[in-house]
Amino acid sequence: MTLTLRIILIVVSVLTFLLCIRRVKQAKLQIIDSVIWIIGSFVLILMSVFSNAVEWISVKLGFLAPVNFVFFTIIGFLLIETFITNIRISVLNEKIKNLNHYISLKEYK
Amino acid sequence: MKVLIVVPAYNEALNIEKTIKDIKENSCYDYIIVNDCSTDNTEEICINNKYNYLSLPVNYGLSSAIQMGMKYAKKYNYDTVIQFDGDGQHSAKYLEDIVKKMENDNCDIVIGSRFVNKKKPKSIRMFGSNIIEFIIRLTTGKKIKDPTSGMRGYNKKAIDEFINNPSLTPEPDTLVYFYKKGLKIEEVQVEMKEREFGESYLNTLKSIEYMFNMVFSILFIRNFSRKRCK
Repeated sequence: MTLTLRIILIVVSVLTFLLCIRRVKQAKLQIIDSVIWIIGSFVLILMSVFSNAVEWISVKLGFLAPVNFVFFTIIGFLLIETFITNIRISVLNEKIKNLNHYISLKEYK
Repeated sequence: MKVLIVVPAYNEALNIEKTIKDIKENSCYDYIIVNDCSTDNTEEICINNKYNYLSLPVNYGLSSAIQMGMKYAKKYNYDTVIQFDGDGQHSAKYLEDIVKKMENDNCDIVIGSRFVNKKKPKSIRMFGSNIIEFIIRLTTGKKIKDPTSGMRGYNKKAIDEFINNPSLTPEPDTLVYFYKKGLKIEEVQVEMKEREFGESYLNTLKSIEYMFNMVFSILFIRNFSRKRCK
């Protein structure tokens, strides 16, 4: 991993971390939802600080370059996050629909 | 048998009066209009004519409107729900045939079908209908000649299923689901008119999307519904 990439990763992670904390304080993000992002940013910081370990793992796993392993991890993380979000939207959608029906039946004269 | 006609209506101000007049004149059943948060004056027309209607505060689509009708039917103890489009394409004189078929043959679902005795005309729309018919036959072995028909009667068993399972839509894939659950589905011959006012929900892109969704749902989801012992 190049030094530039490591610095970018650290800066972005710290920013993500700070943004999360701020949103939680403003009560715009639930603590439960913030946990995954805080853990994610920690993992990124660890990866950029201990780049030797990342290189060792990526060689063992057969990646052509350590940076590929970093991207692979990030993409995997994002995919899982999107999927979880998607499920949540479905659940919310269903709840709103039921509310919709409930109100309609209540207002029926 | 208490029968409820559910008329889902979204921006049907031009058609709704005619539809309700047709139902009142040509059948003796109760009806309910489900106004799916129309942006035109559908609701005003319902109020002015003192129609029996439910008004949804948020627009949620056809499936939700039908489900709403089912919930109403359950609350007021109806035995049968017949889905009847508010756009003037269906004729109320066939409602009795559907109810009779249901009573006599002990069916759970009766479809008002255009092609029981008549041949399917050749058009792109009917080509889509044929594909769905073929896939239903492939997965269930049953033949439904007009799977996309929007005029359907459901009995209590099917109504309960609709209320409890939010993934069920009034579309062909749900028929496969009901077959797999062991419900009896039959068809009766009806006539349908062409739409006079307003736009159809399905344009070219939507049709392709619809076909894709149906084929996918039937082959990969509904096909694996487990049969419940009852």
